[in-house]
Amino acid sequence: MLTLKMAFRNILRQKRRTMFTGLSIVGGFTLAVIFIGWADGSYNNIIDQFTRNRLGHIQIHEKTYLDRPSLYKTIDAGQRIGTILEQADAVESWAPRVYGAGLAAFGEKSAGVQIIGLDPQRENATTHFDRKIVQGRSFSALRAGEVVLGKGLAEILQTKTGDRVVLVSQAADGSIAQDLYLLVGIVATGDDLSDRMSFFLPLGTAQDYLVLGDRLHEIAVVVDRLSRVNMIAATLSGLIADPALSVDPWQVFARSFYEAMRADKAGMWVMLVIIVVIVAVGVLNTVLMSVLERRREYGLLKAVGTKPRQIVRLVLLEIMVLSLIAMTVGAGLGLGANAILSKHGVKFSSGLTYGGMVFDTMKSEINLRSFVIPAFTVLISAVLVSLFPAVKAARTEAAKTMRMH
Amino acid sequence: MGFTLKLAWRNIFRNKRRTFIAGIAIGVGLATLIFTDALILGMKANMIHSATAAYSGEGQIHRQGFRLTQDVGKTINGPAEVIAGLEKEETVEAFTRRAMSFGMITSPANVSSVLFVGLDPESERPLSHIDDNIQKGNFFSGPEARDIVIGSELADLLEVSLGDRVVVTVSQAGSGSLAQDMFRVSGIYHFNIKEMDGGFAFVRLEKAQEMLGIGTGVHEIAIKFRSLEFAAEDNTSFWEKYSVNGNEAVSWMVLLPQLKAVLNMVWISLIFMAVLLFGIVAFGIINTLFMSLYERMFEFGVIRAVGTRPGGVRRLVVFEAGALAVLSIAMGTLLGLILTLIVMKTGIDYRGIEFAGTTFYEMLYPELHLQQFLIYPAAVFLFTLLVGLYPAGVAARMSISDALRKSL
Amino acid sequence: MRKTWLFIGLGGLLAFSRPGSPQTQVDPDAATIVRQIDALYRSDSSEALVEMEIVTPHWQRTLRMKAWSLGMDKTFIRILEPKKEEGIKTLRIGNEMWNYLPKINKVMKIPPSMMMSSWMGSDFTNDDLVKEFTFLESYHFELVTPDAPEEGLVYIKCVPREGLPIVWGHVLIAARRIDAMPVWEKYFDEKGTLVREMLFKEVKSFGSRRIPAVMELIPRTKKGQKTVLRYLEARFDVGLDPDIFTLRNLRGGI
Repeated sequence: MLTLKMAFRNILRQKRRTMFTGLSIVGGFTLAVIFIGWADGSYNNIIDQFTRNRLGHIQIHEKTYLDRPSLYKTIDAGQRIGTILEQADAVESWAPRVYGAGLAAFGEKSAGVQIIGLDPQRENATTHFDRKIVQGRSFSALRAGEVVLGKGLAEILQTKTGDRVVLVSQAADGSIAQDLYLLVGIVATGDDLSDRMSFFLPLGTAQDYLVLGDRLHEIAVVVDRLSRVNMIAATLSGLIADPALSVDPWQVFARSFYEAMRADKAGMWVMLVIIVVIVAVGVLNTVLMSVLERRREYGLLKAVGTKPRQIVRLVLLEIMVLSLIAMTVGAGLGLGANAILSKHGVKFSSGLTYGGMVFDTMKSEINLRSFVIPAFTVLISAVLVSLFPAVKAARTEAAKTMRMH
Repeated sequence: MGFTLKLAWRNIFRNKRRTFIAGIAIGVGLATLIFTDALILGMKANMIHSATAAYSGEGQIHRQGFRLTQDVGKTINGPAEVIAGLEKEETVEAFTRRAMSFGMITSPANVSSVLFVGLDPESERPLSHIDDNIQKGNFFSGPEARDIVIGSELADLLEVSLGDRVVVTVSQAGSGSLAQDMFRVSGIYHFNIKEMDGGFAFVRLEKAQEMLGIGTGVHEIAIKFRSLEFAAEDNTSFWEKYSVNGNEAVSWMVLLPQLKAVLNMVWISLIFMAVLLFGIVAFGIINTLFMSLYERMFEFGVIRAVGTRPGGVRRLVVFEAGALAVLSIAMGTLLGLILTLIVMKTGIDYRGIEFAGTTFYEMLYPELHLQQFLIYPAAVFLFTLLVGLYPAGVAARMSISDALRKSL
Repeated sequence: MRKTWLFIGLGGLLAFSRPGSPQTQVDPDAATIVRQIDALYRSDSSEALVEMEIVTPHWQRTLRMKAWSLGMDKTFIRILEPKKEEGIKTLRIGNEMWNYLPKINKVMKIPPSMMMSSWMGSDFTNDDLVKEFTFLESYHFELVTPDAPEEGLVYIKCVPREGLPIVWGHVLIAARRIDAMPVWEKYFDEKGTLVREMLFKEVKSFGSRRIPAVMELIPRTKKGQKTVLRYLEARFDVGLDPDIFTLRNLRGGI
C-alpha cells in the first residue's frame, strides 16, 4: 500500500517528467485508437456500400441455388419468411426476387436476357433501385405490364421508354411464356456486364409470367449493423428453421469480394503491427528515459533500506499508474475523435461513382477493438520496458547510483 | 557556427542511450514511411498488372461501337495502318490481334455459350498470361489448326479433357448464317477466376476469321506499354492518335472502371494512414526533444550564466535536433531499405485472391523509388528542425536563475 | 450467360438431304441399311401431324403440332395443343428462324446462336432435327457383332469422319434385318460412354412410306428426362403451296 502511495506521489511530484512520459503514451494511444477505428470503419463502409448496391448483406436461397442456379430451386414459404424478417429488429429492410432466362426482342433486334422480378417498394428501400434509374421511372406497382431494362440492353435493342418489348421464355411448368411489356425506365447499376443482360419486371408480373405462383428465388436482407452480420444470419436461420433453405451472409455469396477485402484487411494488419511497434517504441523511449534518469533516487531508496523487490514494484507501479491515467485520457480523445469521424466522416472532393453510389466519404467506427488493442499494447510495452531498468536499478549498489547525476 | 555544430553533435552523444533510443523511434517511423510507400506502389502496379496482363491488356483498339454490341461485322478499320503505326510506337512494348464472337460450344455431354476468340499465339504470348496458366496441354505449340484452348471451368462443364472433340457454332458476319466446326481440346488453362476459366474458347486467328467470315479482319488489338504511366487515361496523345478512322482506342481505365475506382479508394485510405503514421512519428520527435531539454535545464542555465546569448542557446538546441534527425534518418533509411529489400525478395503472397474481376496471381513486391529516399528523410529532417524550434525558444528565453534552480 | 437458354425455334422436324455422294469402301449390306435410315424421314415435301411428349424431372407436357416441309431448307410448324401455346407458329428458311406469338401478335426472329440449344425444352437439339449429317456421307461405317446380339437385328458402328463438326465418338445403330428399319441408335462420346439413346417404335405405313411412327430420345447422363416424338398422320412427296413458307403466312393464314 505504501508503495502505491509512493507511486502516486512520485508521479505528481515531478510533473514535467510525468507530463512528458504521459503525453507520449497519450499521443501514441490516441493515434492508435483513431487508426483502428478508421481502418475498421472504412473497411466496413466499403463492404456496406458494395453489398447494399444490389446484393444485400444477407441472402436467402434454396440450399443449392448458389452453386448452380435453376428456375426450379425456389423458396416456397415467402410469406412466412417475410413476417419473420419484418419482426426482426436487426433487419433494416428486405427484398424478394425471382430470376429467369429469356429472349427479349424489339423490332429487328433480339437478345438473350436475365429476367429479374423485384418488388419496387422493397427494392427501393433495400438497394435504392430507384436511384439507379437514368431514364424514365421505376415500376408503378407489384403487378404491372412494365419493364425496366439495363442500360447496355436498352442500347443493344435500340429501344427507349414508351416502346413495347417482347419477352419469350420457358415457364416453370414447361410451357412457353410470351408477353409484351411497356418500357418505363432504364437503369444503370454500375456493373456494365450485368446491365447488358438485365430485364427487370415487377415481382408479381414475373411470377405470373414464369408460372411460379408465389415462389421466390432469392430474398436479400439489409441489416442495421454490418459488423454483426454473421450472428444475425445465424439467428435468422434459426428463426426460419427450414432445412431446405440457406441463409448466407455476404461473405458467402460475394466470395470474391470477401477475399479481396480480406487481402485488404491483411494489409491493414501489417499496418497495425507497424503502428503498434511505433507506439511501443515511443513508450519505450520515454519510459526508459524517465526510469533511467532516476537511478540516483533508487540508489537513495536502497541506501535507506528499501528491498530490491520493492524498488522494482515501485517502478512498475508508477509506470502502470501513469499508463492507466494516460490511457484514459488517450481513450477519451481517441474515442471522441472516432465518434466525430463516425458521424461525419471525411469527405473527399474527388469522390468516385460506382454503381449509382458515390464513394466519397470515409467514416470511422467506434468498436471495442479500437480500444483494446492499443490498451494492450501500451500496457505491455510500458511494463516490459520498465522491467529492465527497474531490475537494474534494484540491483545496483546504492553508493554507485548516488554518485550519479 | 562550426563550433555550435560540433558542440551539438557531441551533446547528443553524451547520453548515448537516450539518443539511440530516440533515434530508433524516429528511425523506425521513417523506415515505415519508406516501406509503406514502396508497398503501395507495388500494390498498385500489381493490381493493374494482374487485371490487365491476364488477358485484356493495358489498352485496346476496336471499331467504334464494337464494345457495346459485340457485333461481329464491326472489325477494325484500316488494320494495316494501325498495326504499322503501333510497330513504330516507342511507348508500346507489345500488341496482339484478336477476332471474336459469342457462340455455342458443344460436347457430347453438354452445351454452353462462350466467347469464341481467335488469336495469334506468337504475338499473344508476350502480352497475355493464358500461356502461363496452362494447366494441361499446351498453348498452340503444335501446328494443328483444329486446336482449341479452353478454361478449367468450361472443361468441367463440358466434361472434356485433352484430346476430346468439341463443336463450336457461331454466326457469320453479314449473312448471320451459322458456321460450325470441330476442334480438339489441346490446352486447358486455369486462372482461378471463374469468368476467365469458364467464358472463353481460344483458337488460331485464321480459323476464327474463316469461321466468322471476316476475311483478314480483326475485332480487337490489345496493347501492352513499356511502362504503366503510358497506359493512363490522360495520355491523350496516344489514345487520340488511334481513335481515328472510325476506330476507338481506350486505356484500361476505361475498360475496367471498377479497378480504377478501387485503386482510388485504396489510395485515399492509405493517405489517411500515412498522415496518422506521420503524426505518431512526429510525436516521438517532439517528446524526445522536450525530454532532453528539460533534463538538461541546469546545463543550459550554466551555459547562459557564462555568457552565451539566447540566440546561441536556441541555435544549439536546434542543431541538436538536427543532429538527432540526421542520426535517425541514417538509421531509418537503412532500416527502411533493408526491410523493403527483404520483402522485395520474398514478396507478399496474395495470390489467388480475386477482386473486381482481377486476381492477384503474381506475388506482390514493393517498389523502391529514389524519391522515397529523398522526400521522406527530408520531411523528417525539416520536421525535426521545426519541432526543435519550440524547445529552443523555451531554453533561450528562460531566466538564468530559474534554469539553474531546475532539477528534474 | 445462362445455360438454360430457352429455345423457341422449331428446327424443322423434317430435314433435308444432300445431293449425290461419293461412294466409300464399305460393306454393301451396311451401306444399304445406312442409306435407308438416312432417307427414312426425308422427302422433297411433307405434311404431318405430330405429337411431342416431353418428360423432365420438374414437369411433363405433350404438344401437338402440324408441320410442313419443302425441299432442303423450308419448314413451317404450327402448334395446336395445349391451349397456352396454341397458335404459335415457326418458320424456318435455311439458317434463319422466326416465331409468331399469337398472344402478343408479334413475329420474332431467333438469333442464330440460340439454335444450338434444346428444342422446346426437349432433348432434341437442332442437330438432330436438321440432320445435316447423313450417316452415309459423314461417317465411316461397318457391320459389327456386339456381345449379346438380338435375334433378327444387324448392328452398324458409325464413326464420324475427321474434320466434321460432329461431337460424337461413335454411333451404334441396330436395325431389323428384314426391312432395315432402325430399332435404336446409341450415341457414345470418344471415351466410350453412352451419352444418349434414340429408340424407334411402331413401324407404320403412311401413304406409300413405312416409318417408325415413334421416336424416343433418352439422355443417359441426365436423370428423369426423355422426349417422345409421335407421328399421328403424315403425307410425303405431296404438292405444297410455296406460300406456306413465307413471313406473311407466319403472321396470318394457316
